[in-house]
Amino acid sequence: MNIMKSTFASLLVGGVALASTAAFAGDIRVGITMRMVSENGQKYGQMMMDEIKAINDSGGINGNMIKATLMNDECKSDKGVANANKLIFQEKVHMLIGSTCSSVSLPIVDVTAKAGVAQLIPHSTNAKITQKGSEWVFRVPVSGRYYGGVNAKYVGDNIGKKIAYICAADAASVNDCAAMQGQIKKQFGAEPAYIANVQEKEVDFRSHMQKIKSMNVDGIMVAALAETMARALMQSYEAGIGADVRRIGSSSASNAPVPRIAGDAVKGVFFTAAYAAADQRPIAKLFNAMVKEKYGIHAPDHDFSQAYDLVRIMEQALKSTDLGLDSASLKADRTAIRDAIAGVKNYEGLASGPISFCAAPTPQCRDGNRTAVLIGYTKGGENFETEVLARVTMPIEFGLE
Amino acid sequence: MNVFVLIIEKIVAFGETLARKHRLLPWVLAYIALLPLPYILASLFSEYLINLANRACLFILLAVGLNIVKGFCGQVTVGHIGLYAIGAVTSAILALEPGSFGDTWGFGLSVWVAIPIAVLVTALAGVIVGLPSVRLEGAYLALATLGLGESVRIMIAVTPQLGSSTGLMMIPPPTIGSFVFESFTSYYYLVMTTAVIGIYFSFSILRSATGRAFQAIREDTIAASVNGINVVKYKLLAFVLSAVYAGLAGALFAHMPPGYLHHNNFTIIEMVTLLLMVVLGGIGNVWGGVIGAIVVTIAYDQTKDLVFYFMDRPIIIQPIVFGLSMVLLVLFMPRGIGGWIEGFQRNRRFIKQSEERLDGTA
Repeated sequence: MNIMKSTFASLLVGGVALASTAAFAGDIRVGITMRMVSENGQKYGQMMMDEIKAINDSGGINGNMIKATLMNDECKSDKGVANANKLIFQEKVHMLIGSTCSSVSLPIVDVTAKAGVAQLIPHSTNAKITQKGSEWVFRVPVSGRYYGGVNAKYVGDNIGKKIAYICAADAASVNDCAAMQGQIKKQFGAEPAYIANVQEKEVDFRSHMQKIKSMNVDGIMVAALAETMARALMQSYEAGIGADVRRIGSSSASNAPVPRIAGDAVKGVFFTAAYAAADQRPIAKLFNAMVKEKYGIHAPDHDFSQAYDLVRIMEQALKSTDLGLDSASLKADRTAIRDAIAGVKNYEGLASGPISFCAAPTPQCRDGNRTAVLIGYTKGGENFETEVLARVTMPIEFGLE
Repeated sequence: MNVFVLIIEKIVAFGETLARKHRLLPWVLAYIALLPLPYILASLFSEYLINLANRACLFILLAVGLNIVKGFCGQVTVGHIGLYAIGAVTSAILALEPGSFGDTWGFGLSVWVAIPIAVLVTALAGVIVGLPSVRLEGAYLALATLGLGESVRIMIAVTPQLGSSTGLMMIPPPTIGSFVFESFTSYYYLVMTTAVIGIYFSFSILRSATGRAFQAIREDTIAASVNGINVVKYKLLAFVLSAVYAGLAGALFAHMPPGYLHHNNFTIIEMVTLLLMVVLGGIGNVWGGVIGAIVVTIAYDQTKDLVFYFMDRPIIIQPIVFGLSMVLLVLFMPRGIGGWIEGFQRNRRFIKQSEERLDGTA
């Protein structure tokens, strides 16, 4: 009997201890779930936490501290959903930030919609995320539907219409590839010269490159995650395809591992992104210097800039709300935060263009940034360099027809 | 630890007493005891733990199913996660409305029709996965099943009609009339009931003539064959029964809100995690599989965000901990928790009997 009693007492004490992990009243609880498996992922995750700490150190939001919980979803949808559920139902967060990967953000949209928690998306570009009709989701990055249009216009006008495609199987790359093909066809009436659908972590592209070489194409689009893209770019030169055939990257071409791994093979590659490290604005220069000093990153990509912008947008929205911050006001607080984010208009930070949201649960209202910047690599390796080729703002309805 | 074993012993003894009155009585009582769990978890801890319990129930089904082919029949399979994927994707596309999202297939069937069909399809796939076992054993069979399992994932990843890279979304939850199984609690009753029935049937299989044939094959295939056991038939049957569990778990996973599937849910990492559950619990031990599934699900949830910095570079601890656990378990506790408890019980029984004998002599 004593055994049973002591076991029950231990369980009860453990339960109370666990229950007490739910944050205290008075804090604004923010949950973050992102892909933290890469070194870059760890660093921009840390940057977000540092920026939130800086807000707290300078007095918080209207006197209230932000209590952020950062979780790793490994870019896996089941883990992302589990994280979102944990943050919403256990940590009782007021708002959720996440995720990096589109395939994770997509199901989390349903979780936040059902629970009634505002979701700010830092990186995912898949157009379907905001097409689900959730009134709780807001996207900081540029949607894939805009990227495709910008890339296609530049390629068709400046390079040619005979394009070969290497499309990896991750959600963002598939989306980027399909958007580009669709827009080239729509704007210029040209069909793809060659399409290779490859695995997310494919390592051997040589047979595809040999076929592409024999086709005399004007350009090759490589839509893949960073390491895969770098390998494909290198192998395109190994196959003997000259520099006169332009290489077009998907949005992940902005990730630092691409120039670092691909080296000289990255020279001449261009892509669309939401931030250019070559941006000459003072805010961008300060940001670049800060990231280099604190996180050792030579030139931050748009994953860093979007994470930074997201914290600023969150700060701006939270400052404009009057939150109760106790358990009774949780639902009302979550709604107030959603409405405050929907009220953000023309936020100008590091992003390629102003970010605005509005109340309707439509892509027009929830894809905040419509401006993509075309970036070209001028030098590869550790100390890579880029240049801004163009900055294009797309019509709000673009890609929805 | 002794306290833990004593509690288990008391529960087992109580269960045996009840079973003497009626075979199903301990199961009914266990089921009733599990009914208030969501309310206890939500009031003492948080609603999230109900979600964790739901996932644990799905893993219990998977682990118990894997135990049939691996533990009872001794066949080394590493492709079980592929069967789980087949069950999940089949049920999802059968239940999705036609043209509901992009290129994905949809047949608009009721979830209650989709799940049994998915289980049947997975059982057929089980025959295919099991076919190499007729000619192969050990590491060769492991390699063959690994290839089949991974092929399933790759096929999903490259087929737009099966969700491809975007995944299958908006998979409907089960409904009864106007009642929708969409909350953590309502889904708990669905998966918990299935898990309890699954465990019960696993014991039934183990104690039946089929179970004894499985064990005979596990101990010595040639001896089993000489004794009149149709080895090919029983090996395939083990794979099929195991696939039924995997298909059911997969289908329930697909319809669990938010109703989303992605090929990344079925990688080799998930397979290794599943193997860890079975090895930790104890290969061939039904309760071991259950304990392993619960322990690993909780441990996974609690450790997945632990990071340490080595030379200023972040290192995620979990894969290292899980990998090391697997190696240490195989080295020092090859029969897992279930085997360890059995050994402890055996020793206690021996000591007790010896004491009684000594008392009688005195």
